Amino acid sequence: MAPTRTVKNKHAAPKAGSKGGSGKKRSSTDGVSKSKSSKGKKPAISATEVKGRPNLPGLNKDKKKKLPVYTDKELGIPELNMITPVGVTKPRGKKKGKVFVDDRESMSTLLALVQAEKEGQIESKMMRARQLEEIREARRKEAEKKEAERRAELEQTKEAIRRKRKRGKKGTKDGQEEDEGESVKELAATGSKATKSKKKKVSFAED
Amino acid sequence: MRPLTDQEMKVVLDKLANYMSDLKSLIAPLEDGDRYVFRLNHNRVYYVKLSLANLATCVGRDALLSLGTCLGKMTKSGKFRLHITALPILARGARHKIWVKENGAQPFLYGSNIVKAHVGRWSEDCPEHQGCVVYSMADIPLGFGVTARSTTEARRLDPTGIVCFRQADCGEYLRDEDTLFAG
Repeated sequence: MAPTRTVKNKHAAPKAGSKGGSGKKRSSTDGVSKSKSSKGKKPAISATEVKGRPNLPGLNKDKKKKLPVYTDKELGIPELNMITPVGVTKPRGKKKGKVFVDDRESMSTLLALVQAEKEGQIESKMMRARQLEEIREARRKEAEKKEAERRAELEQTKEAIRRKRKRGKKGTKDGQEEDEGESVKELAATGSKATKSKKKKVSFAED
Repeated sequence: MRPLTDQEMKVVLDKLANYMSDLKSLIAPLEDGDRYVFRLNHNRVYYVKLSLANLATCVGRDALLSLGTCLGKMTKSGKFRLHITALPILARGARHKIWVKENGAQPFLYGSNIVKAHVGRWSEDCPEHQGCVVYSMADIPLGFGVTARSTTEARRLDPTGIVCFRQADCGEYLRDEDTLFAG
């Protein structure tokens, strides 16, 4: 064996050659290991026996050997660790090519299916439209009601102002001035016509 | 020329169902025992009698320009576009209709949408974005479109408001003469 063997590493070869035989011997007849097996293990074995476990020498070795080895399929890892593009995986046993729809039965089933689907869609659209219409109608009515209330209030205030003015004409001059002040304020608030204020200016100039 | 696949047929029927209420009449058997079928040639879908389709099998794909009634064309993205040539079939079983006045017929035939002022009358209970067939007041089908507003909303619309978006009109026979049947 020795002359035929090719040695790649010159420095490594003599070392291996010189220590090869002795190393093996050492490992087989190692003093340290001997002492462990003979002295150290015996009391440990007795301890385990006390606990009730059957102490077989081969048991520990078996445990080490039975390290679970899972396949990729068991772990659920895909064969290629990447996304499989659509169209690459083809179902087996299926016929290649297009499937045509030409016979009356399949056509009519397809027709019925499509029509039912469309009817449902249209119906739901109509329902939604009706609901929205109802909501709009309710809002419109509410707005109209509010508008009517506002107008009524405005009319009421106008009426109140007119009454006050009439009273003021009958009363004293001071009272009239006070009335004027109030009415001007209210007019400004309600934003009514400017013609009335002009009239008053004229009457004031006359005084 | 070949029959349509399951998917293609579904797309075509789905589009037709937007405009038609009764689809079953499309494939109803005729008095002479014949029936109508759908055929595809160069992305165009034809509605043709079975006997005629069988006769046409002896004509090569490239040599066959058109047969039966051209319904429309399958786009490259797999959708289906109806052509004006499908109007007689749509008009037969129209779900919703709009009649345009005399003054509105010409603008529609020149390719514009329908405004409220041009509408003579319309079908009741028509929802928004629903296919409808456009007729003249003399009940002549002029084209088809999609409603812009529901009937109730359209009533409140001002006269210049659009009530129907045009999809196809008879003017296309002249305007799209070159590309309507081929290309």
